[in-house]
Amino acid sequence: MDYILEGFREALKLLISFDKEVYDIITLSLFVSTTATIIASLICIPLGIHLGLKEFKGKRAFSRILYTSMSVPSVIVGLVVAIALSRRGPLGGLNLLYTPKAMIIAQTLLVTPLILGLTYSLSKNRGKEIEKVGTSLGAGRGDIIVLTIKELKLDLLVNVVTAFSRAISEVGAVMIVGGNIKNRTRVITTTISMMNSMGDYPMAIALGLVLLLMSFVINSLIYTYSGED
Amino acid sequence: MEISVVNLKKYYGEKQVLDIEELTIEKGKITGLIGPNGSGKSTLMNIISGIDLDFFGTIRYDGKPLDRSIYMNMTLVFQKPYLFRRRVYENIEYPLKVRGMDKGERIKKVENIIKRFEIEELREKKAHRLSGGESQKVSLARALIFEPKLLLLDEPTSNIDPESIKIMEREILRFNQETKGTVLIVTHNIEQSKRLCHNIIYLENGKVGYLE
Amino acid sequence: MKRFLALSISILLLFTILVGCKADSGQDVGEPEEEVVEESTEPAEEETAEDEVGGRIILSTTTSTQDSGLLDYILPVFEEKYGIEVDVVAVGTGKALQMGRDGDADILLVHAKESEEEFVAEGYGKARFDVMYNDFILVGPKDDPLKLKEKFPKDILGGLKTIAENEFTFVSRGDDSGTHKKELSIWKEAQIEPAGDWYLEAGSGMGDVLKITDEKQGYTISDRATYLNMRDELDLDIIIEGDENLFNQYGIIPINPEAFDDDVKGRINEEGAQIFLDWILSDEAQELIGEYGVEEFGMPLFVPNAK
Repeated sequence: MDYILEGFREALKLLISFDKEVYDIITLSLFVSTTATIIASLICIPLGIHLGLKEFKGKRAFSRILYTSMSVPSVIVGLVVAIALSRRGPLGGLNLLYTPKAMIIAQTLLVTPLILGLTYSLSKNRGKEIEKVGTSLGAGRGDIIVLTIKELKLDLLVNVVTAFSRAISEVGAVMIVGGNIKNRTRVITTTISMMNSMGDYPMAIALGLVLLLMSFVINSLIYTYSGED
Repeated sequence: MEISVVNLKKYYGEKQVLDIEELTIEKGKITGLIGPNGSGKSTLMNIISGIDLDFFGTIRYDGKPLDRSIYMNMTLVFQKPYLFRRRVYENIEYPLKVRGMDKGERIKKVENIIKRFEIEELREKKAHRLSGGESQKVSLARALIFEPKLLLLDEPTSNIDPESIKIMEREILRFNQETKGTVLIVTHNIEQSKRLCHNIIYLENGKVGYLE
Repeated sequence: MKRFLALSISILLLFTILVGCKADSGQDVGEPEEEVVEESTEPAEEETAEDEVGGRIILSTTTSTQDSGLLDYILPVFEEKYGIEVDVVAVGTGKALQMGRDGDADILLVHAKESEEEFVAEGYGKARFDVMYNDFILVGPKDDPLKLKEKFPKDILGGLKTIAENEFTFVSRGDDSGTHKKELSIWKEAQIEPAGDWYLEAGSGMGDVLKITDEKQGYTISDRATYLNMRDELDLDIIIEGDENLFNQYGIIPINPEAFDDDVKGRINEEGAQIFLDWILSDEAQELIGEYGVEEFGMPLFVPNAK
């Protein structure tokens, strides 16, 4: 039992002393997951709004496929990206495997169906009324999408944060395409996983605490903000 | 704008809710649409406004089929107004913005209509926190700001205070007189229809009967 | 509604993280532990067969013995003979030793001699015995850009010096495993402190490190077994082999129950561990070790050397 307490003590020491390695890892985690979430959001929010409002053939089947793909396991995404980017793969010439760029690509693909699905569902349920009013006031297709995004921005923000949380807490995809290389592609989750298999707990605990803290802060911010309205 | 409806049929599943052989709404006039609940008044308004496109038959606007320029020249004020989650000022400004009007002109127009509707004190308030009467006034102001050629009103004054009703009726009449815009208004209130309307259409079970 | 949504999302997230953490630590430590309590407190006296002892031991070992397939080859023979089941927990040497210190294993099979002797000296292990050795190799790109194969076919120290001088990409395990420790000890022997952009610390298992090396077309030190298993998928060749510095000794250490409090002590299957120790040092087991891999690769992967 002592080593657990010892682990916590060492963990706090690492955090308080602003240990460079720990904070580099945290920074990279935030950078990779934030970038991935932003890229996916920029594409999927307008697209999801558009698809949710539009009536088209096979919409029901489309919904079902989309909702299913929202929970695609991260290791599958990692595997697909690794195969595509490996030197022998179709995109091998880009030399991206085992770089932060590859991690961003993998996480972008991971959260894309999630953001698209959540946005689509929101737009399908709540967008019709906004579309009606917008149309009657002379808004064109593009205006309607912008209007719907602005009207639903709080809910969309909750969706984006959900996606970000998924990205920052996943280990499968970044481990496979990043390779957990020290000072280059090591993020919070891959480090925790590695430190555990090394039996080295303090850094794992420190990073675990940071991950927990981040979830708390982000979610309470959202909670307060959405509670205001 | 003159509206002519020919052979309009509308179904909800198996059930037929509208069956209108011929109906003309006169240009430049205020026409009242009355009838019991469930007679198809709101459905007709949605179809004429181009929001509901799922029907059989023909509707002509000044002799032409529905297109983008007609959308830009008509509007529908809903029974339950939906205001955007932003300030009252921005709500009223919205139709001018999507029409690409420059800022100076927008400010002039919005300030002017706010004054006429006597809602200066609402100007900076969040629109989704207004009371029923306030919302209806803002919603009508937002519709009138771009001077549509066809104004469709679906029971715009139900359940609101008499003072607000007075202002709204005054502005509807003024709009009609000053811009010669056509108005079609659904109302339950016979007194109101007498105050406002040149013509009355009576709708029952989705069919039309003209009244004096 | 939105409050509710936000709240449920927060709770869900928190829950996910908590469950995630729990699953992580529970897998290799928690479960076997409980089973041992049940099995080991009742020595199987009623067993009829002469050799059958019954029960279950936890063997904490390095990934290399598991991944190479050696344990799958030899353990069934032992289990059949004594009726003792062997639960293998394959982790890095660091973690394996930590499990020993925590009383989560009955016997260790690892390869980091210094750490092992320290472990015994601390009183957690009863003693340490040589079991077998395997050898490491330096692998690198097929075209061998530094021409190490010509210059240093059997001299790992010369090879590493050249890599460091040229700052050529070298991928290290970086995971505190026995192989990692071995690699570091060779660098030390070569009097080089590897650091810089060219020195990649992967923090991963041997298979992943070989893939990264392949991808970056750099050099790495690998155990022969893992490399042979994967060589068809890799554009990597053996560059340096046969240097004495590359030999890797495996040791076996039964855990000393006396090092623990009573409640932990009760969970350790001392008797089972002793039987396993005697067996793996016996001629029978040593022969099995020596023949493993000959069929598939044309050479043994491990050389038995118990005394």
